[in-house]
Amino acid sequence: MPALRTEAVTAGYGRSPIIHDISVTAELRSVTTIIGPNGAGKSTFAKTLVGILKPMSGRIFVGDTETTKLPGHEIPRRGLVYVPQNDNVFKRMSVRENLEVGGFVSKADPSERIDELFQIFPDLAKAKDKKAGFLSGGQQNLLAIARALMAKPTVIVLDEPTAGLSPAYTSVVWEQIERISQLDTAALVVEQNVERALKHSNYVHIFVAGRSHVHGPAEEIAALDLPSIFLGRSVADQPA
Amino acid sequence: MLYYVFTLVFFLFDYFILAMGLNIQYGATGILNFAYIGFVAVGAYMTGVAGMPSNITGQHYILGLGLPFPLNTLFGGLSAMAMAVIVALITLRRLRTDYLAIVLISLSLVLYDFCNNFVPLFNGADGLYNVPAPLTKALGLNVNSFIVVFACVTGVVALILWFVMARVTNAPLGRSLRAIRDDSTVAGALGKDVFRMQLKSMLIGSFYAGIGGGLLIQFGGSFNPTAWLPGETFVVFAVLIVGGAGNNIGMFVGALLVETLLIHLPAFLPEIPGHPGLIEYIDSALVGIVLMVMLWTRPQGIVPERVRRAVTFGVPDRPEIDARELGSAEVLGAPVAAATEGAK
Ligand SMILES: Nc1ncnc2c1ncn2[C@@H]1O[C@H](COP(=O)(O)OP(=O)(O)OP(=O)(O)O)[C@@H](O)[C@H]1O
Ligand SMILES: [Mg+2]
Repeated sequence: MPALRTEAVTAGYGRSPIIHDISVTAELRSVTTIIGPNGAGKSTFAKTLVGILKPMSGRIFVGDTETTKLPGHEIPRRGLVYVPQNDNVFKRMSVRENLEVGGFVSKADPSERIDELFQIFPDLAKAKDKKAGFLSGGQQNLLAIARALMAKPTVIVLDEPTAGLSPAYTSVVWEQIERISQLDTAALVVEQNVERALKHSNYVHIFVAGRSHVHGPAEEIAALDLPSIFLGRSVADQPA
Repeated sequence: MLYYVFTLVFFLFDYFILAMGLNIQYGATGILNFAYIGFVAVGAYMTGVAGMPSNITGQHYILGLGLPFPLNTLFGGLSAMAMAVIVALITLRRLRTDYLAIVLISLSLVLYDFCNNFVPLFNGADGLYNVPAPLTKALGLNVNSFIVVFACVTGVVALILWFVMARVTNAPLGRSLRAIRDDSTVAGALGKDVFRMQLKSMLIGSFYAGIGGGLLIQFGGSFNPTAWLPGETFVVFAVLIVGGAGNNIGMFVGALLVETLLIHLPAFLPEIPGHPGLIEYIDSALVGIVLMVMLWTRPQGIVPERVRRAVTFGVPDRPEIDARELGSAEVLGAPVAAATEGAK
C-alpha cells in the first residue's frame, strides 16, 4: 500500500479550482517529486494534502486512512507532516523549542528524539539555543525539515526546500531528503530545479496549469524534452 | 503620604495583573485584543453587582447577590471569561491579525455604548457607586487603613496569579501558543488545534482582566463608563510594550514605569498655577511619547522575551555535539556531516 495516495483531487482557493484531477502516490523509502513552472499549482496541491485547503472533489489517503475531510491539525496525527515553502520556522523561538513544537505526537520527553535529529543535522545542534530567525535560510529549511521529522512521519511533504539556497547547501538538503526517505518515510517534494529533482528522486510528476501533465520514473522523465513539456506540449508530440 | 504610596502600590499590582492577562493573549499568542479593557469592565461591573446587595436605592443594576470578597471578584473573573467565549466564537474562528483587531475594537465600542446607555444593566452613564469596600467590617478598617490593606491583598493576588502564569507560559501550552503567534499555519500543519489554543489563551487572559477589573472597582468603590473608554486598552498595551511583550517580569516593570510612575504619580503633584488639569494632559502626551520612543529604540521592551534554553521536561541539557564525531556516526553515515562542513 502506498504511504500517500490521492484520487482525482480538485482544489483551489474560493470557488474556482486551481488544480484538477490530481492522482499521485508516494511510496515508503522513495522520493516523489513534483516539478513544473511557476503558478502550476504545486504549492496548492501540497496545501491540499495537509488540509490547509479542502478538496472540492477527489480523495486523499495516508496509508489506509482517508484524510480528505479531516481538520488540518488532525492530519499530522495520521502520519503526514508538511514543510511550507517560505517562512517555515517559528522565528522568535529557539532551535530547540522549534523541535519541541514538532514533537507533539508522543506526550513523552522529546529530548531523545531531538538528540537523534541533532545527529542528523549537526549544524542545528551547534545553534540549538539560537533564535530560529537568526539562522541562515538554508539552516532554517533544515530546521523546518528536522521539526517535521520530530513526529516520525510516514509521509513528509516538502514545498521547495531548496528555494534560494546556495548550490552547496542545496546538495546538503537534497542528501538529507534522500536519507530521510530511507528511514521508512515517503518524501513528496516540490522542486523548481529540474536537474536536481531528476537526480535525487525515484518518481516525478510534471505539473502544468494545474494538471499532472506527465509522470513517470525519474529516468524516463529525464529522457523527455522537458522545456517543451513545461510549455504545455504533451508527451505524444515528443520527437522519438 | 503613606496612603498615597499605597494607592500607587495598588495600581502597580493591579496593572501587573492586567498586563499579564494581555500578555498571554498578545505577547504569547499574538491575539491583538483591542477590546481588552472591555473584559476589564465586565470583570469590574460583575464584581460590583455580585458584591452589592439588591436593594441600594437610586441605582439600577442586575443581580445584586451580596457575595463577600473574594467570591465576588472570582465571579467577575469568571464573567469576563464567559464573555471571552462569546467573543472568541464570533471572531477567532474566522479572523486573523489586523482584521481581528478591527472587529475587536468595534466590539468594545458596541459594548461601551450599550453599558453607557442601557441603564438597567449597570446603571448606565452613572455607573456603579457605593460598592462595598471588602474586609472593612471584618478587620475594622477605616478609609485609610483600607487602602493599605487592600493594596497588600492585591499584591498577594498578583503574586499568586504571576506564579500561575509563569507555570502556564513555560509549560508545553505556552510553547504551543508562541508557535501559533509566530506562524499559525505552520503550527496547524504540525498538529496544533489553533482555534482551541487561541481560545485557551483568550480565556486565561480574560480571567486576569476580570480579576484586575474586580479589584479596581472595589478599591475605588465605583466604576462608570469614563473608567474604561476604549482608549484605556492602549494604556495596558503601553505597559506591555514598555515592559517587554512575552515576558511576565516585564509586565511588572511596565506596570511600575507606565501605570505607577507616569500615570498615577503625577496626579499627586501640585497643580500648575492657573492651569488646572494641565498635568493630566501632559501626562497622557508623555505616555504616547514614551511608547513611541520605546517602539523606535527598543521594540522588545525593557525586559525582552527570553529565548528558552532549558529543556522543558526537566531533563538536563546535553553537551554540544561535536561535528567531527558525527562524521563517523553510524546511524547516518559520514556524507552528511562532510557535506555540511563543506557548505560552511
Ligand atoms: N492564497 C491564494 N489565493 C488565491 N489564489 C492563489 C493563492 N495562492 C496561489 N494562488 C493561485 O494559484 C495558482 C497556483 O499557485 P501555486 O502557489 O500553487 O503555484 P506553484 O506551482 O507553487 O508556483 P511556484 O513555483 O511559484 O511556487 C496561481 O495562479 C496563484 O495565483
Ligand atoms: Mg509554490
